[in-house]
Amino acid sequence: MQPRMAGGMGSSCVRWRTNRMSSPRASPRPREAILPYLLLSPGLLLLLGMLYPFGLGVYYSLTNYYLQYPHLFRFIWLGNYIKLLEDPLFAYSFKFTLAYAIVAVAVQVGLGLGVALLLNSRIKGRGALRAMMLMPLMMPPVITALMWKIMMASTKAGILNYLLSFVGVGPVNWLGAMNSAIASVFIIDTWGNLPFVSLILLGGLQSLPTEPYEAARVDGASAWGIFRYITLPLLKPFIILAATFRVMDSLRIFDVIYAATVGGPADATMSLHMRAFFFAFQWYQMGMGMAYAMVLLILVFLASYFLMGYWKRAAEQTTL
Amino acid sequence: MDIILGIQSRMDPWKEDKTMKNWMRSKLWAVAGLFLVLGVWICWAAVEASAAESDLAYYRQAKINWRQFEGQKLTIGLNKHQYTESLLPLIPEFEALTGVKVDYLILPENEYGAKLTADLSNQRGEFTVIMAGAMRNWAYVPPGWMVPLEQFLNDPKLTDRSWYKIEDFFPSLIAANRWNGKMGGGIGEGPLWSIPVMAESYILTYRKDIFDQYKIKVPKTYEELAEAARLVKKNAGIDGIVARGTPNFPTLATGYLTGIKSYTDGKWAELDEKMYAQFHDPRAVKFSKLWTDMLRESGPANWANMTWYDGMETFAAGLAGMYPDCDFFAQTYEDPQKSKVAGKVGYALLPPGPAGTTYSGVFTWALGMSTATKNKGAAWLFIQWATSPRTLLNATVEFKNYNPTRVSVMNDPRTQKVMGGWGNGMYLKTVQENLKTARIAWVPNPERPRMGDIWARALQEMYFKRLTPEEAMKRATDEVNKVFKDIGLQK
Repeated sequence: MQPRMAGGMGSSCVRWRTNRMSSPRASPRPREAILPYLLLSPGLLLLLGMLYPFGLGVYYSLTNYYLQYPHLFRFIWLGNYIKLLEDPLFAYSFKFTLAYAIVAVAVQVGLGLGVALLLNSRIKGRGALRAMMLMPLMMPPVITALMWKIMMASTKAGILNYLLSFVGVGPVNWLGAMNSAIASVFIIDTWGNLPFVSLILLGGLQSLPTEPYEAARVDGASAWGIFRYITLPLLKPFIILAATFRVMDSLRIFDVIYAATVGGPADATMSLHMRAFFFAFQWYQMGMGMAYAMVLLILVFLASYFLMGYWKRAAEQTTL
Repeated sequence: MDIILGIQSRMDPWKEDKTMKNWMRSKLWAVAGLFLVLGVWICWAAVEASAAESDLAYYRQAKINWRQFEGQKLTIGLNKHQYTESLLPLIPEFEALTGVKVDYLILPENEYGAKLTADLSNQRGEFTVIMAGAMRNWAYVPPGWMVPLEQFLNDPKLTDRSWYKIEDFFPSLIAANRWNGKMGGGIGEGPLWSIPVMAESYILTYRKDIFDQYKIKVPKTYEELAEAARLVKKNAGIDGIVARGTPNFPTLATGYLTGIKSYTDGKWAELDEKMYAQFHDPRAVKFSKLWTDMLRESGPANWANMTWYDGMETFAAGLAGMYPDCDFFAQTYEDPQKSKVAGKVGYALLPPGPAGTTYSGVFTWALGMSTATKNKGAAWLFIQWATSPRTLLNATVEFKNYNPTRVSVMNDPRTQKVMGGWGNGMYLKTVQENLKTARIAWVPNPERPRMGDIWARALQEMYFKRLTPEEAMKRATDEVNKVFKDIGLQK
């Protein structure tokens, strides 16, 4: 037996070598075939760790899963998604989430660009300003929201109303009325995230080539002209990148709203994420909560997919 | 250095001798000091051990073997609360008494509820002893997640009833933790599911100085309550009244629920016997309109964003005339370190209905047991120890848990000394009067948070005049009925 086996193996090795020489598509030795998977295994495990909860979430969104009533558990296909459309707050929370994200991103990117330009110019105390700008980023959003909630007290006990009283304004009912509550959430969110946008754009500004600017100055271009026709186009990939991150975060807004308004008053600040939280963790209706979360996920995915495509094109144009 | 010293010593033998003596003397002082510190430490440890032994001696009077489950382990699920703060320092005493190892997990209320429900639902048994209470029991008892406690109470190997004295608890609080498992009723009947460790009822806290100064009457009806709020705002220039207002169920649980139940003489209930919502009932609509009109006219501008904490802080800061809410907030109001109104506060029952009775709501946190736990005996010993007269007295006297559930703790001179001074004695008088008729205000059902959230949103809709009171309450009725129908709670 043994000589035959040895001979057999030997001949197969020869055949393999021959095949490899004759055809580049020949199958590799088992060890070599496994090697890439072995090298990738930590990443694959990580991917599994990410995919499992996601898959479970998708599955739960198709079930009638109540934490408190395990006996009701059954697969209901798209039942939750149909019920979701009947939920009186679904349409509002969808519109609010979308509108909030659009306005928040537009304003935050606009203001962030202004701050980045300021910090990129040669002004006194630039280093200190840059360090101070990072402070809001260091604070957890819930703490930020609670801090602002105290400052936004509706009486003069709140520092904002106290300061406004010197200019004859107020007292403003920051968090207790519907429109002002939306504006207040927006202010808190912007305060916390503006440094992030500014930081990306500042990094972008510092990486821009100097030659186009020198050429423009030689040609006598105005400051506005330089900004409009050189800075903005070159900075476009960074602007889109910052906008992409902020769109994703703004669509998923939760912590600031939870800490500042709990979705009120009168549901004025009820986002999709808040609604998902209420269903899943206040009323333990996991199926509906997951259905809300899936709608939000699709929204975030679509928005980031288009923005990333746009970013890729902008980056290619800039490189060319 | 040695060489230098050597040269010096050869040069001056007398100096060498003196240096040596100084060195010896300093060493002796150091050793004496060390012995002194050691002695003091040993004495202190001995005093501590003796005090601990004397504490344990109290528990050893119980005619049970506290060490019968020695070596077992318990995990306690705790909500972040003043009671929890008072319990934690006492746990080593239980471990020394029983030889049972105790681990615990403390979470804020929302997270605690979700984690506990997930644990019970999956029957993992992560928590052996849980912080439950009347209203949580309505969700945990029907699926069989909690153990009835009579079997332990009536077992002489596990409980010395004459030492434990269950009859020492306020009867209404024990009744609140009994339930026969029937949706829509059955409180005070059937098994005991949990033993109360803190309790709150709801009273009217008001600024006595302002009421006296402007000759405002303490309200005896809800119309008078609205009028008093208006007068405080007009005369004192502060909010006439504060109340919870966020769009979720805690907004209803205290002043509002006590108000609506008292206003209707306890005859109106949010659910009928077949578990259909009754918010559209004209009596409920009328009271809700009165309440939201009062808050719109005389309450804080940010009512719709007020939590219990905001209300308490506003009142303690002297910015409101009345706060119909938890009785035990008095410990904040009467603490000059935390309050600008210490010594200026009056306490009264919330107004009664036409028949003359105030039906205050009651809330209790109580210790219960998960069915999934294996160490039920040890778990019971923990519950018995934690709810024994001595432990609850320590929690009140030493750790400021001013929500006594035992009559003996309430009547203890040390408790009376602290609480008796609040409002010149008005506080204790009011609370004791309130507890005579206080009861669980909600109709038993496991969907209280969901139902309450819908109901609270209806109040906000009428406050902002987005809907008429009739429309808002009708919509709440329809929404709750739909939820109950989906779950199959209606009969």
